[in-house]
Parts: sequence; structure tokens; C-alpha cells
Amino acid sequence: MPDPTAAAFELTHRPVLVPVALTSPCIALLPLPEGTVIQILGPAARVEDVCAITDATGFSLRGNGPGQWFAVGDEPDKFAELAATLPDGFTAIDQSHGRVRIAIEGESVGEVLAKGTGVDLALFETGRAATTLIGHVATHLARISDDRFELLVTRSFAENVWDDLKIMAAEYLGVSHE
Amino acid sequence: MASLISCPHCGIRPKEEYAIKGAALPRPAPDAPRSVWFDHVFLRDNPRGPYEEYWHHAGGCRRWLIVTRDTATHEVLACRDAGAEPAVTA
Ligand SMILES: [Zn+2]
Repeated sequence: MPDPTAAAFELTHRPVLVPVALTSPCIALLPLPEGTVIQILGPAARVEDVCAITDATGFSLRGNGPGQWFAVGDEPDKFAELAATLPDGFTAIDQSHGRVRIAIEGESVGEVLAKGTGVDLALFETGRAATTLIGHVATHLARISDDRFELLVTRSFAENVWDDLKIMAAEYLGVSHE
Repeated sequence: MASLISCPHCGIRPKEEYAIKGAALPRPAPDAPRSVWFDHVFLRDNPRGPYEEYWHHAGGCRRWLIVTRDTATHEVLACRDAGAEPAVTA
């Protein structure tokens, strides 16, 4: 029997972060599109297999500890496409609804992030990714280039992390942070 | 100091990223007598000196690690992935 309440309660997607960047000449906080985020689990030694399918489907692949990866992309609803090409021995979990991406860039990015994480950013080369705590929130950190990082946080903590980043960056954004 | 733990996968991270489960001890056989299981679950030697503990890198790679820590000095002597330890994972 069709659910009579379905029409009345149709789901509407609203981004959790207001899509407005905060910028100054030396730092920028950018909410990224809530596209597709997929967690992949599998044998650590077969990383090439994962690279092959994420390259073919247009995702960016980021490591997250042994045998764990995140595939991220700006386009929504791409889970089925990747899952269909997943080799045996791997598991993919759609996290698009559950995790949100934030970019932070600029010449002061290292100083800002160092206020919140224990990762030694001087040794964290471009292309590396890892989960760490930003304040009290587990955050996946990926270095995209020398002065750009992407953060991946659980959706329910996204506003909290965004507000923390604003406080961490306040001296470079030239805003007060009460 | 045990405030910095050197994860074999993530590098040096603050202890706040980890959760500690306790002593890493070999499990008794499933059919071992109740008294042996009681000792395994509840009784600890509490030594002064090096001690092996399970630490979970909860705010990092989410792997279980075995940290060798000196209980007197808090010096961390070793840190390795628990998955490579048949003696304590059997
Ligand atoms: Zn780790």
C-alpha cells in the first residue's frame, strides 16, 4: 500500500553549511558542494585496484588508514556508478548524506590548522590524507596542494567545525571571534 | 611521555586521539576453567616498568595498536599494529 504521508513529507536536500566563503588575502574557508562521498574498505595491498575504479569514475581518492579510503566528488548521486565497478574483496558505503567537505586555503593555512590538530603539517606532503582531531571532532584531512587542504567531517559536526575554523582563522580574516 | 603516541600508520599524535582498552594479554582457551577466565578478565599484576596495552586510534586510522609503556616513567617504548599479533588476537 502506498504511504499516504510520503508526498507531505517529501525530502528536500539543504546544505548544512551556508554556501558562503570567508576570505582574506592570506586565508579562505570554503564550504564545498555536498556531492558524493564514499567510504571504501578492502585489502590495503590492493590500493591500485581502488585507484583504477576511482580514476575511471572521476572521483578523488584519499587514504584513511590501512585498507580504508574515501572517494569524493562534487557531483551528487554517483554512488551506484562506483559501486557497480567495485572489485571483489572491497566494500563501499555511501556517506554522501553523512559527511561534508570544507576547503581551507591560503598562505596562512598551516598556522591556522596547527591550532586545531596534532598532525605535524610540515611533514604532511601534498597528496597525503589522514584522520585526526580538530579540537574534539574526528576530521579527515587531505593536503591538496602546498597551501590548500580539504576537511571531511560528519554532517552533524560540520557547523561546529566550521565555527572552530572561523575562530582559528579569525586573526587572519580580521574578524572578532566571540 | 605517554602524551604523544607514535602510531605506526599515522605518525606522532596526541593521546587525546586514542582510547585505551587496557592490558594486552593472551586470551585463555575458550574452554579454559572459570578460574582462568576470571583471572584473565579481572586480575592484573600492575607492574612497575614496561607494560603492554591496547590503544585504539579512535580519532585517527581507527586501528587497534599495542603500546609498550613504562608505568613508572610513562616513556613509550614501542607501538605496533595489533592485527599482526596472533598471540593476543587468537
Ligand atoms: Zn593511527
